[in-house]
Amino acid sequence: MALVPLSYNLRSLLVRRSATLLTVLGIGATVAVVSGVLALQQGFERLFAESGREDLLVVLRKGATDEGGSVITRAQADTLVKSSTEIAVDPNGRPEASLESYLAVRRPKLDGGETNVPIRGVQQATFRIRGERLKIVEGRRFEMGADEVMVGRKLIGRIQDCGLGQVIVFNTTPFRVVGVFDYDGPFSSEIWGDVDRFAEALERKVYNRAILKLAPGVTVEQFSRHLEDDLQLPSDVLTERDFLMGQTRALSNMLLFLGGVLGLIMGIAAIFTATNTMLAALAARTHEIGILLSIGFRPITIFCSFLFEAILLCLLGGLVGCLITLPLHGIETGTINYQTFTEVAFAFQVTPRVLLVAISFSTLLGLLGGAWPAWRAARLAPTVALRRH
Amino acid sequence: MIELNGVCKSYTRGSETLVVLDHLDLHVDRKSFCALMGPSGSGKSTLLNLVGGLDHADAGTVQVAGHTLDTMTDGELARFRSEQVGFVFQGFNLIPVLTAYQNVELPLLLSPLSRKRRREHAEYALELVGLKDRLRHRPGQLSGGQEQRVAIARALVTDPALILADEPTGDLDRESADQVLTLLLRLNQELEKTILMVTHDARAAEHAGQVIQLDKGRLLEEGLETPA
Amino acid sequence: MIKVPLRLVVKNLLRHPVRSILTVLSLAVAVFLLCLLRSLVVSLDAGVREARSDRLIVQSAVSLFVYIPQSYDTKIRQVEGVEDVCSWTWFGGYYQEQSNFFAQFAVDSDRLLSMYPEMVLVEGSEADFLADRRGCLIGDQLASAYGFKLGDSIPIIGSLFPRTDGGTWDFQVKGIYTSTSSNVDRKTLFFHYKYLQESRDTGAASGPSNVAVFVVRLMDGARPEEVMARIDALFENGPQRVQTTTEAAFQAQFVSMVGNIPLFVSSLGGGVFLAILLAVINTMLMAAREQVQDSGIMKALGFTNLSVFLVLLLQSLLLALAGGGLGILAALGVADSIAEMIGSQFPGFAVTGETVLLAATLSIVIGLVAGLTPGLRLGRLNVAQSMRAEV
Repeated sequence: MALVPLSYNLRSLLVRRSATLLTVLGIGATVAVVSGVLALQQGFERLFAESGREDLLVVLRKGATDEGGSVITRAQADTLVKSSTEIAVDPNGRPEASLESYLAVRRPKLDGGETNVPIRGVQQATFRIRGERLKIVEGRRFEMGADEVMVGRKLIGRIQDCGLGQVIVFNTTPFRVVGVFDYDGPFSSEIWGDVDRFAEALERKVYNRAILKLAPGVTVEQFSRHLEDDLQLPSDVLTERDFLMGQTRALSNMLLFLGGVLGLIMGIAAIFTATNTMLAALAARTHEIGILLSIGFRPITIFCSFLFEAILLCLLGGLVGCLITLPLHGIETGTINYQTFTEVAFAFQVTPRVLLVAISFSTLLGLLGGAWPAWRAARLAPTVALRRH
Repeated sequence: MIELNGVCKSYTRGSETLVVLDHLDLHVDRKSFCALMGPSGSGKSTLLNLVGGLDHADAGTVQVAGHTLDTMTDGELARFRSEQVGFVFQGFNLIPVLTAYQNVELPLLLSPLSRKRRREHAEYALELVGLKDRLRHRPGQLSGGQEQRVAIARALVTDPALILADEPTGDLDRESADQVLTLLLRLNQELEKTILMVTHDARAAEHAGQVIQLDKGRLLEEGLETPA
Repeated sequence: MIKVPLRLVVKNLLRHPVRSILTVLSLAVAVFLLCLLRSLVVSLDAGVREARSDRLIVQSAVSLFVYIPQSYDTKIRQVEGVEDVCSWTWFGGYYQEQSNFFAQFAVDSDRLLSMYPEMVLVEGSEADFLADRRGCLIGDQLASAYGFKLGDSIPIIGSLFPRTDGGTWDFQVKGIYTSTSSNVDRKTLFFHYKYLQESRDTGAASGPSNVAVFVVRLMDGARPEEVMARIDALFENGPQRVQTTTEAAFQAQFVSMVGNIPLFVSSLGGGVFLAILLAVINTMLMAAREQVQDSGIMKALGFTNLSVFLVLLLQSLLLALAGGGLGILAALGVADSIAEMIGSQFPGFAVTGETVLLAATLSIVIGLVAGLTPGLRLGRLNVAQSMRAEV
């Protein structure tokens, strides 16, 4: 079966230059919008997902949807750490467990308005557990027992009073900023200090979560049961990875949903455009099709040729869309994760997944947009096509 | 009616300049029926366009129906065309989305006539050409000869003094061509229209009272047959 | 006077009905999207715009999530300019599943309705609500979303305030309210703070003590800034410092937290607009190409360049208006359903007259811009050339 040569399609696209250009740009804009939203979602998801550790567990009060809503009293915490043999122990005999507090605190932004910044009170054990991944970028770590804090790198330049040496007042107590730290993931949008000093200043004498490592051979289910039955502390126990994934779910899904809706709506418009363009191409080439048919090319060939041209057109558009979206990669932005109600800074990530979606989307547009014109082209009777009007 | 003096017209295509009309003089009397003939490329259509105010001459004067065309603006020329000239082209040039009636009515939309009066004129014109029963047909539903007759009706409908026809029988079969030419003759003799017809068909030229030959942008001779 | 044969405008659009319909539909879809996007952004401000100037909110200076002592109530009442005080405490529970999100607040119930005249009871009565200590008032949108009716018992699982027996909090629906302004959400459940306090005291439930915020109503003629300053000064030295703001500023803090979203949505809107503009230009260029000969004929007949230009431009405008009109109507049609769906996150979602006007203007602009170049091209063409032109 003879195929209509590729050059035929390419030539046709070049000859009808303005229509091709406009369609490509229009589809490019559509793909760019959808990819942009996806890149945002990927950036957000990656920030949380990739930083979560599989070997670290997070213990929250059962039913709590996030750290802020989870409450572990002092008494419960003591019992948890001291009497659980399930918790791993480091070479010095200290349990690898730490209790932390978490609160979304209202801070003014440097460019006006306010936002909620998470402050995390940690114990000494947190530093042991976090280890080398926690890097001090400027200044030093805060001293336990002192009214000092260290701020996450991403807060610099966004939030007021976060510079080295500046003072932040929580309730009535001033805390001095003594260092800037970096940790991949959401921690670098947080302010850290001594859990007990925070508790005093804010008059909140409870913990919000515990992080710990399990002793070898102990499963999560065993530990969960131990908490519930032995300690009367019904809890949700998750790996840090799962926990962080859960924290992103709402916003992540919302962005995916938004991307989907946009893709659908703009896609419909794009399909209409592609169909229009291909119909015009058909009208202009009716005579040529008549000649091809009379020579002996089969209708199915004509169909494929038109469909291919439509897909090519849309793929070009998709390429343009990707080119528009690529510069977004790495651009930082911030928004409220309304699941935790705290501000989180992240960057657009134009991941391979985004590009894949863009290309597939374009191909689909071409397929749907070109189907009908291609079908009509294939159904032309040679005598009709060759008739001069 | 038509007076051309020292008219020149050339076209530039790329780097080449083509001289189409070369210091041409032309005189056409009122109520005459002239055939304009010559080999292809001799400038016949260009001459017709100049007379009809569709194009500007590079040099020389063009006077038609008492108007001096070479000094008129585009707006004035448009008005001139709508009032003084009726065109009939080779390719019929009817607007495909309009019916025969609507095509004929089109030039009247430029006049202050009321809808009722427009209807009267248009139907009269279509009757003259014998197509009153085809009012509602679109060009696609008419034969070649019928289309040309509708075009003639449209050329007539504003009652212009001058009718310019460019190869009016070019695309028609023998019978339809004869019909069209007879019609043109009637318009000239009964309605006293001045007709300038470009043609390369000798038989068509026989219907005209006068034959003008063009070659390489210049007039060759003037036939002096008296009107029949 | 310019003579433009309108019949020709319409007929040319109908020459290729499929193309015209596709263009109109894609325009409609784009305008529909633009209306909804803009309404989303506008609704973010709705709460701020409709805030009352005679109400103040007293919250912790530190965080929305730090509760302030209930005992502050007496002290605030005594501040000059304060007419009444009502506490609100975020309950943070959920109904059946965590994804069923709506707000629940424990409030000083005897003062709620008098402080919020925008809340109007459509079913039940305040007296019934006050009489039952487990009673609750629910918004009409909440009632219709979950099928709650007067007299129903709604089981809420407390996440911030879990019951020690692991069971649910059961609230009895004693009233259904609606709101006359977008300031007050219609998907909220209000119950008695006393019931919450009592449950904590008896050990039936656990959770943070104290209240989340106090809502203060000003006396007539009282100056907000002065009262705000006085209240803040009262608790300057603790135990919990407070920050008193106007209700508008309180709502605004949520909006400003949302940060870049308005910018983000605007960029989306820009992309959509661009895409659709290109599509319509494409259509008009195709149409112009087909009408080259017709334009020549018209000029030969004596129509001016301007008339020819206008014939094309009017086609573009008609398409744009048809598509834009359809899109606007569609947006207006679904506005209510969407408002119900996202009412909790975006209270006050509505397709306003301003949005409609903007959408209509954009459609007209698209029509004009898309028709401009093709129209000029036809208008300027030499007559002789256009009639010989191969399409």
